[in-house]
Amino acid sequence: MRPLWSRRWPATADAWVALVAVAVVSWFLLGAASATVLSVLVLAFYYGIAGSSFNFLYGSIGVFSLAQPVFVAVGGYTAVYLYVTYRVSPWYSLVIAMVIAACLALPVGLVALRRRGTIVTALVTLILSEAVTPVLSAIKPLGSSIGLYEPLKNGSGLGAMQFGSALPFARLLLLVNLAIIGGLVWFKRTRTGFWVTAVRDSPEGASACGVPVMRTRVAVFVVAAMIAAPAGVIYAQYNLLVNPDLFLGVTALFQVLVVALVGGSARPWGSLVGAVAITELSYYVTKATGSHPGTGPLTFAIIFLLVAVLAPRGLSGTWATMMEKRRKREVAGALRRVGAPAVGKPAEVPVPSTSAGGRERDVERT
Amino acid sequence: MLWEQLLVLGLIAGAVYSLVGIGFTLVLGVGRIANFAHGAFVGVGLYFAYFMNQHLGWSPYLSLVPAVPLFLLLGWISAELFEWRGRKVGEVGELLVGLAMLLLITGLLETIYTDKPRAIQGVTAGQVVVAGLKIQGTQIIAAALAFSLAGGFYVLMKTSRWGRALRAVAENPVAAGLHGVRVPLAQRVAVVVSILMAGVAGVIISPFTILTPSAGTTYLIAAFAVVVIGGIGNTLGAVAAGLAIGVVDSFASGYLASYWTTLAPLILILVFLLVRPETEVAV
Repeated sequence: MRPLWSRRWPATADAWVALVAVAVVSWFLLGAASATVLSVLVLAFYYGIAGSSFNFLYGSIGVFSLAQPVFVAVGGYTAVYLYVTYRVSPWYSLVIAMVIAACLALPVGLVALRRRGTIVTALVTLILSEAVTPVLSAIKPLGSSIGLYEPLKNGSGLGAMQFGSALPFARLLLLVNLAIIGGLVWFKRTRTGFWVTAVRDSPEGASACGVPVMRTRVAVFVVAAMIAAPAGVIYAQYNLLVNPDLFLGVTALFQVLVVALVGGSARPWGSLVGAVAITELSYYVTKATGSHPGTGPLTFAIIFLLVAVLAPRGLSGTWATMMEKRRKREVAGALRRVGAPAVGKPAEVPVPSTSAGGRERDVERT
Repeated sequence: MLWEQLLVLGLIAGAVYSLVGIGFTLVLGVGRIANFAHGAFVGVGLYFAYFMNQHLGWSPYLSLVPAVPLFLLLGWISAELFEWRGRKVGEVGELLVGLAMLLLITGLLETIYTDKPRAIQGVTAGQVVVAGLKIQGTQIIAAALAFSLAGGFYVLMKTSRWGRALRAVAENPVAAGLHGVRVPLAQRVAVVVSILMAGVAGVIISPFTILTPSAGTTYLIAAFAVVVIGGIGNTLGAVAAGLAIGVVDSFASGYLASYWTTLAPLILILVFLLVRPETEVAV
């Protein structure tokens, strides 16, 4: 039994303080932002959530899923469909969408994660996200390929999550982002969190220690889907419409991935920072080129290629590497100061592997 | 009547899928790389033929001559990228490079040609009428070229020293290396050959295909389906799987609504993934 209150400053306390500080400061900063900036930020925060969902899967358990936009779309469709037909407030839909996303994610996860390798997972999830568009276009009640439009509510739109400006949406999306980051910080230190890390680093070892590998992987997949769903709900309210292209066009599909990978999964905040950076950049490039068609996707592609080549662990991964190096230097310096016997360099801190499964190929390559 | 027509069209499309799929399965087998950009090179081939036709008035078949060195070069660049990233980051690094190239190619094509569907006009090679079935000459040429390339590739893989080396690397890179096979070179050759095949496939289908920048994704899924159904590194399996997908595609679009064209191969993949015994450890 742990004491209710330990005198020791908990290891994650810094993170919590920083999180609350960011929440408070950005809440007021957003209030001062202009409409253009806000509209870009709404997009960035929206991609931040979807990217977090991807990063949670990929960073914590090494599952490379291309299906996260589908779960975002599930959120959007749930909210608008329920509002249009039954006048269910989107606030309730936040929860309903998460449940529906989980129900969809469970069978998908069971199929996609049947085998160890990254490629089958990537493939099955790519199939899912490619298949959803034609399926949606065939379903009449969901508006076929045109989509659903949400009627505007008279009077106060608070209950219907309809606001006149982008500001409340930006705040709401930011809060969801921060909640996810907080959740990740907390989750990493729970028992399941340790299981997840164990499964990522060595499925065989984890299995030998009694960790239910398959169940953990599927569970993480389901939770990641639930993380993604609220983004769709809020984004649909912001746009007042849903259609397959909004969530699942080729660009939308890859933007989520680009945001996640540029941010990197080494730290929980990676996706949010990556999303803001890349969306802003893309916005300015598009504006500078006079909104020529295709420049947006092209910017994303070039940034993505640069990141894939230069900093494959993303912004937060680069940060993590820098921190590790600094810590090593400090340890070495401290050892020198106390005149410790020449033990040489301190033991290498092993960098956690980012891929699931080993690679025999490394043997002859290195 | 209809079903015969659909069958023939399906087989022709299937021949092209086979050619694209063979390259994909080769890279997956020899290099252990899932090249997400594989289908995009079909798109590059399509637009290359379109470009030559618009600006120089070359027929797509004449464009094959400059296309070969072009795709050899593109293939070599991609191979170096894969190799470099793979050595540093591992499997995921290669996945990322592939995805990035897919995005880059799609984005470039969209920037240059916008997403308006285009077609190369005026390239015909007569038509053949067999038992009331009308088949365009260009389609027959495409199918014949695809089959002869696939056949030639199969024979080379089976009989030549290079083919044997590639198969050895696919089976066990360490042992192959110990026996004197230059493994890094073999892996690069696999990437170059596969991209060459994808590009050539793009050029030869250009006379009768509607060009859109997103063609890459369509062919990527076809290639994936070929691998899942035919097995990794299995050339004959890839041909059979390609033909099967072509026929299923064609029947689906003929008898059901048009969106089934996208769905049919996806469902086929899912079924095979569920039914097929777990044989490949790497994938």
